[in-house]
Amino acid sequence: MMELLRSHNPPLSFRRVNLRFIDWIWHIRGSLALAPGQSSEDAFDRLAPLFRQTGTSQRRTSNALTFTKKNQAPQDKMSVFDGGVLQIEKGAAGPVLRYHLTSRALLFCFLAPLLFLGFAQLTIAMGKLQKPAAEAASMSGKGSDASKKKDVEVPMNPIDKALGAPEPEKPGKEGADKDKGKSKGPSPTPAYVFAAIFATLYVVGRVLEDRLVRALFRKSLLGS
Amino acid sequence: MNGIRVGNRVIGADAPVTVGWENIPKVEGGPVKQFIFTWFQPTMLFALIAFWYYAPNSIAKASTAIGIGIGFKVLLLGLEWVNPRHESWRLTWKELVTDLFYVGLGYTVLRMVDGYIGDGVMVEAVQNAFNWDKFTWFMGLPLLVQAFLISFIFDFGQYWMHRGMHNWYPLWLTHAPHHYITQLNINKGAVGNPVELFLIGLGVGGFFDFLPRAALLAGTLGLAVGVYQHINVRFNTPRWWRFVFNTTEHHSLHHSQDYEASRSNYSGTWIIIDRIFGTCVDGEAELLGMEGGRRMSVGETMTYPFTEAWKTIKERFGRPAVAVPAE
Repeated sequence: MMELLRSHNPPLSFRRVNLRFIDWIWHIRGSLALAPGQSSEDAFDRLAPLFRQTGTSQRRTSNALTFTKKNQAPQDKMSVFDGGVLQIEKGAAGPVLRYHLTSRALLFCFLAPLLFLGFAQLTIAMGKLQKPAAEAASMSGKGSDASKKKDVEVPMNPIDKALGAPEPEKPGKEGADKDKGKSKGPSPTPAYVFAAIFATLYVVGRVLEDRLVRALFRKSLLGS
Repeated sequence: MNGIRVGNRVIGADAPVTVGWENIPKVEGGPVKQFIFTWFQPTMLFALIAFWYYAPNSIAKASTAIGIGIGFKVLLLGLEWVNPRHESWRLTWKELVTDLFYVGLGYTVLRMVDGYIGDGVMVEAVQNAFNWDKFTWFMGLPLLVQAFLISFIFDFGQYWMHRGMHNWYPLWLTHAPHHYITQLNINKGAVGNPVELFLIGLGVGGFFDFLPRAALLAGTLGLAVGVYQHINVRFNTPRWWRFVFNTTEHHSLHHSQDYEASRSNYSGTWIIIDRIFGTCVDGEAELLGMEGGRRMSVGETMTYPFTEAWKTIKERFGRPAVAVPAE
C-alpha cells in the first residue's frame, strides 16, 4: 500500500513546500460522517462497487482504501478521478470518512485556457508573417482581377426566380469583401472564446465534481 | 454470441447489436413528448432550408451559418438532457470538456493548417496546373439542385475516404482513435486525431463554381442531418429519412464494439450511398468502442497514429530479437 501511496502523492516535504497552495486545482478533499456505530469494514463494503470498474485497481486495509484508475470508461461514476485515498478516522462525534482524490481532467481543464491563449498568439503571429506577402500579391494582381470580374454575369435559374429567392450578389462587391477579409488574416477570436469557455468550465467542474462525489459517497454509504 | 446474418455478413457476433427497424425502441412518454421527438428532425431540416433559401443577402453569410450551427448544437445538448437514448451515454463534465477540447482544436489550429494545405488550396493548385476554369455552368442550376449536388458529391468523397480508413492500415491509424469513444454526444464527431479530421475534411466539391447561397444550403443539409450521427437522443425518425439520410441508429452500429457492424454505414449525410454500395445495415448499438470499451486519453489520441506506425514498422523491418544463449 505504501508503494501505491507514494506513486500518487509526492514526498510530504516536497508537497508542503511547493504544492500546498496550488494542489486544490486538481485535488479534491472532503469528509463525511458515518452513521453512528457503522464499522469501517461495513462502510468500505458499501463503497466497494464504485471501485469494481474496468481500469480501476484498489488496495484495502482495515481503515484505508487506496485506488488508481487507468483509461477509465466515461460510464464509470468516478471517471473524473485518477486516484485517491479514502480513510476512516475516529472523530469527536463518531467515525468519519475522509477522502483525498486527484483528477487529471481538472488540471487539464485548468491549463486549457493557457493553451488556447497560446493558439491566439500563434494566430496573430502567423497573420503578421503573412501580411506583407498578401499585400504584394494583391498589388500585382489588382488590375487584371477587377477587369475579369466585371465581365462575369451572375446567373439565376428561372425556378429560383419564380419561387422568390433573393437575387445573387454581384461578384464585384463580393470580391471586395473577400479582399477585405483576406487582408485581416486569420482571426484569434475563436481561440479567445475557447479560452473563456474552458476557464468557465473549470470553475463549474471544480464545484460540481466536488459535490457529485460527495453525494455519490453519501448515497453509497446509506444505500442497502 | 451468434449474431444475425445481414446479406453475406454476420453482424453482432462479438458484441450485442440490434438489427432491423422493427426491433428498435420508440420514444417513450406523453403525447407532447412523442410529438416533439417525432417531428423535430424534419421540421428543423425544412425550416433551415427555407431560411437559407429566402434569407436576404445581408444575412445569408458564413458567419450566420456558424452562429446557427452553434445555437443548434446547444439546443441539441438540451434535448440530450431531456430525452437521452441511453442512460449510459449521459454527458458528464469530463466528457464535455474533452469533446470541447477537440472542437476547439478544429476552430483554431486545424483551421489555420487548412488555410495552407487544405482542399481549397489543393483545388486551386490543380486548376492552375491544368489551366482549367471552374465549371461555371453549375451556377445556372436551380439552387436546391446545386445544394444537393454539392452535399452529395462531398459526402460521396467522404464515404470513400471513410471506407478507405477502415480498409487500409495507414489511413486506419489516423481514424482508430475516433472509434475509442464509448458513447455518442453532440460534439463527439470532433473527437479524433487531427490528421484524420484534416483528411475527412478534404472534398472534391471545390472544383465546381457555385452560388454562395447553394453552399450555405448544402452546409445546412450537413448540419440538419449529419449532426444526428453523434447524439444521445431518442427520435422516432421518419421512414423516408432513415432510407435516404444517416441516423444515430446507423452510426451507433458503425461505432459498435462488434467488428463486422463497425464496417458498415460509412457515409456522413446520405446513407443511401451505403445502400448503393451494399455497406448499409439498419439497426443500432449501445455498447460502443474498441478493446472492450477502453477510453483513449487525449494524449494517446494525439500520438496514436505515429506510435502505432512506428511499432508496426519496427515489427516488420526491425531486427528480430535473438535470444543469446547463456555461456
